[in-house]
Amino acid sequence: MAFTITVSVLLGIMILCLWRFFSGGTGLVLLSKELRSFFFSPIAWVVLTLVMLLNGLSFTAALADLREGERSITLTAYTFNSIQFWLAYFFIFPVITMRLFAEEQKLGTIETLLTAPVTTIQLLLAKYLAALTFYIILWLPSLLNFIIFQMNSTDDYSSIGSLTGSYTIIFLVGMFNIAIGCLASALTKNQLVAAMICFTFCLLHFLLGFILQNLSVPDAFRETVAHFSTQIHVRAFIDGLIDTRQIIYYLSFSILLLSITYHVLEFRKWKI
Amino acid sequence: MIRVSNLTKRYVGRTAVDAISFNVEPGEIVGFLGPNGAGKTTTIRILTGYMPATSGSAVVAGHDIFRNSLQAQQRIGYMPENVPLYDDMRVKEYLRFRALLKGMRGREAKNGIAEAIDLCGLSEMRSKMIGALSKGYRQRVGLADALIHNPELLILDEPTNGLDPNQIRRVRKLIKQLGLSHTILVSTHILSEVEMTCDRVIILDRGKIRAADTPENLISQLRTVGHISVEVNAPADIAGDAMRKISRVKKVIKEATEGTWTKFTVRAESGTDVRESIVQLANANHWPLREIHTHGASLEDVFVELTQSPHTD
Repeated sequence: MAFTITVSVLLGIMILCLWRFFSGGTGLVLLSKELRSFFFSPIAWVVLTLVMLLNGLSFTAALADLREGERSITLTAYTFNSIQFWLAYFFIFPVITMRLFAEEQKLGTIETLLTAPVTTIQLLLAKYLAALTFYIILWLPSLLNFIIFQMNSTDDYSSIGSLTGSYTIIFLVGMFNIAIGCLASALTKNQLVAAMICFTFCLLHFLLGFILQNLSVPDAFRETVAHFSTQIHVRAFIDGLIDTRQIIYYLSFSILLLSITYHVLEFRKWKI
Repeated sequence: MIRVSNLTKRYVGRTAVDAISFNVEPGEIVGFLGPNGAGKTTTIRILTGYMPATSGSAVVAGHDIFRNSLQAQQRIGYMPENVPLYDDMRVKEYLRFRALLKGMRGREAKNGIAEAIDLCGLSEMRSKMIGALSKGYRQRVGLADALIHNPELLILDEPTNGLDPNQIRRVRKLIKQLGLSHTILVSTHILSEVEMTCDRVIILDRGKIRAADTPENLISQLRTVGHISVEVNAPADIAGDAMRKISRVKKVIKEATEGTWTKFTVRAESGTDVRESIVQLANANHWPLREIHTHGASLEDVFVELTQSPHTD
């Protein structure tokens, strides 16, 4: 019952926001401009290349190891729990979100945007959805690795659950971390500072859980904090366990972070 | 077109705009004049819905800017100070983005862009990257953006800031031309600009309105603020004291001495002419007089008179 209510409330908020965003077409105009900015900047292509390279490397490494002999881990789990994956994970979010608001504030273009008939929520969602779209595009080539492998494999490679879980958690952590990046970028005019704030939060979120393992803290506290750990969530999902608690966790925190970002932007609008 | 009443904006520790009230009628070109830090940009940012006032009300084109900001913004063309633009966009791309953002679609957007490009003389630059444009052309892109949706009201914050004299002249001409079909509120601290382009001037200083009238009226009201130069052949101290005793003379300053001749600058009260009294004084004392003339007041004198603080020179 509580689960149904929570999901309904979250979906309600998302539909309401998206309806406001798309009404009148202004949101789409802003979204396409943001996407254009992404793909017209060299950084986007560098990130895309690097992520593809890291994914390719981790996939190749996984294949090489599995050829050695039987392992109790699937190809998907191997690929997405590698150093390469976490390396990509840490640099993606600061790089794609640092310029979102920081650049507008530095150039002063935020003033021309917000004095046109545009609401703050439209601007925020346009930037967020553009970053999320770019993030999804970043991970699409990695899916090709699995498809090509499946097409050329004589065995029935059927860890579809693990694959679905992996991409679901990649999408969820993306939603969450891009919301962190939006907030960080709204807090400052300096892109580097925004990137550092985003990186620190992503790292802290990742470290939560096992940072406490060696400390003498009560078990209950340790278990509670472990619920917030990205690494634990990712491990569960790549094993094919789609846990609705985590889905709600990431969705609700993304909405919370975006609403804080909205208020930061409104506050700046009031103050400047 | 603009109705502002008791508009106040307070920041922590200081009041940027202090209970100002003014109106701008349709078709007027109004100059918003004031020294740096007078509260011009703050007032403009409130009028464009970028930030709210602490108290007071502002109605722009029939819409309350605080309650119906989107409807009001639809009717305003705004060019902020320093013209912020996206350097990585081409001129026509940027203008298209802005037109779409302002709710224009299809043919309407296309025509709006073409007209704005034509009016601002951007035809040759339409395919250039904004980052590669000179300051003058950037200013024109900002102006084209402001008038692309043919707004009823244009608000221009320091439109000639940082331009060379030729570019300033061109922008002024453009403002004059636009004034035929738009209401314009133009903020500046350049006096000649206001004298040449505006129907009415609002002088703002330290958050308060010091004067609001036509440039001609302001100058005529303060005509005798313009000083009188007198050159007389008389002992400097005696002549100076004697002139100080003339009624309505506020100040007598000894400027220079050349042999037995002394040059004075005489300032009298507003609205009076003391030249005749000075001539009578010279005649009575048999002091030869070889120069007496008034320097006509300019808007600059009005501006200085109204905005000079007791601590500034």
